[in-house]
Amino acid sequence: MTEVSSPNSSSTPLQTILGEFRNISPETTKAVIFKEDGEILACNEGDTAKDRAKNLAAAFDEIANHSEVIGGVENLTIQGVNSQINVTTTNGRYLATVSSRMADEKRVKALTFVVLPTIIKLMDQIVPSEPENEPTDPPNSEAEKEKETTKPPEEPKHTEQLSNPHRMLSEQNFPKPPVNQFMVEKIAGLLVASDMVRVDADIVAKWVDLYGDREISQVNVETLEGRSVRCKFRPVREADSKAKGIIQIPERILQTLRLVEGKLVIVKPVIPTEWEEKR
Amino acid sequence: MSSKSSPTQTETSLTNVAVISSSDADDPAFASLGASLVEIRKMNGVLGYIIRGNSSAAFDLAEGDKITQFAFLSYQLCESCLEIAKQLSVATIESALVEGKSLNVLFVNVGENKISVFMEKNIDHSGILKRVLI
Repeated sequence: MTEVSSPNSSSTPLQTILGEFRNISPETTKAVIFKEDGEILACNEGDTAKDRAKNLAAAFDEIANHSEVIGGVENLTIQGVNSQINVTTTNGRYLATVSSRMADEKRVKALTFVVLPTIIKLMDQIVPSEPENEPTDPPNSEAEKEKETTKPPEEPKHTEQLSNPHRMLSEQNFPKPPVNQFMVEKIAGLLVASDMVRVDADIVAKWVDLYGDREISQVNVETLEGRSVRCKFRPVREADSKAKGIIQIPERILQTLRLVEGKLVIVKPVIPTEWEEKR
Repeated sequence: MSSKSSPTQTETSLTNVAVISSSDADDPAFASLGASLVEIRKMNGVLGYIIRGNSSAAFDLAEGDKITQFAFLSYQLCESCLEIAKQLSVATIESALVEGKSLNVLFVNVGENKISVFMEKNIDHSGILKRVLI
């Protein structure tokens, strides 16, 4: 698994998936994902000639053009003397694999006709929603108390994610939510909502830049001891310049997290997936 | 079942089978495959077949009014499979299965003879393939 002729936002995961094809089914000698115009999105062999992909797409389309009588083409399997070819199309992309006749046919078909088309469909739902720029943590001034650190993607505490594979897949393709560390400040008063924290407005603005249309309404606040809570948030008023690097937390949440003023917490925005937004 | 004739072609009708062949055609392989296909056609879920040789062709299709569409698909299937195999460096094609949304088509390449068997989706094509190749 080496070459990708024209990497783009979706080719890297596809390339990775094709790499896994060979691990799962070592008898699969060739696999190529390409567009109708011959652009190769992922390929597990050195030869990535555009003309070849274009010819493959045209040949498959010729069958599809005459397939009204059978309700249109879903998949094509060609058996040679020692090899078999599987071709399928999903959302304007084609996948062709060549495998040995010795390969487990069910496994090859499952990979070609089920797994990859499903992944492509999922990616199509996710990729257009991604912001064009990869997330970059803007530099912070030394005066600010916050320091941004990247946490490993695994968060065993959030076991709810494991029960929803769709959401897991979606989130894996988002830019990683930036992780910010804040110092806790207690907030109280008649107008203070007990279930809402207040976060530095500059940080909130960065989240909005990063995730565009996705409405971020919640944050995950985690103590250094590992206790965490998900709650609503709002930016701290701009007039309050002392709010840099500060998170203002009401009494009730402080108690839940067993926190006191002056402690440090890690704050991450909760990025809703399309699935969640539709709910 | 459609029927046509021309000075260079003769057509015979054996039950539901239409055979189109050149006057001097005498291909034992074609005849043998044709006999197998007549038996296969009797299977539940098999909707028909087209066999095309160098100088002869025969078909038996449940939906005779769609013979043109089936014939185009059969021809295109053969041509496209050859092209796809060539592009992917697979030397010889033995068979191909097109899974359509409503029907499946099994294409079998036996020497000079190209066979397309149209069947319902729940039919095991490998059993048909074995019977063709016997």
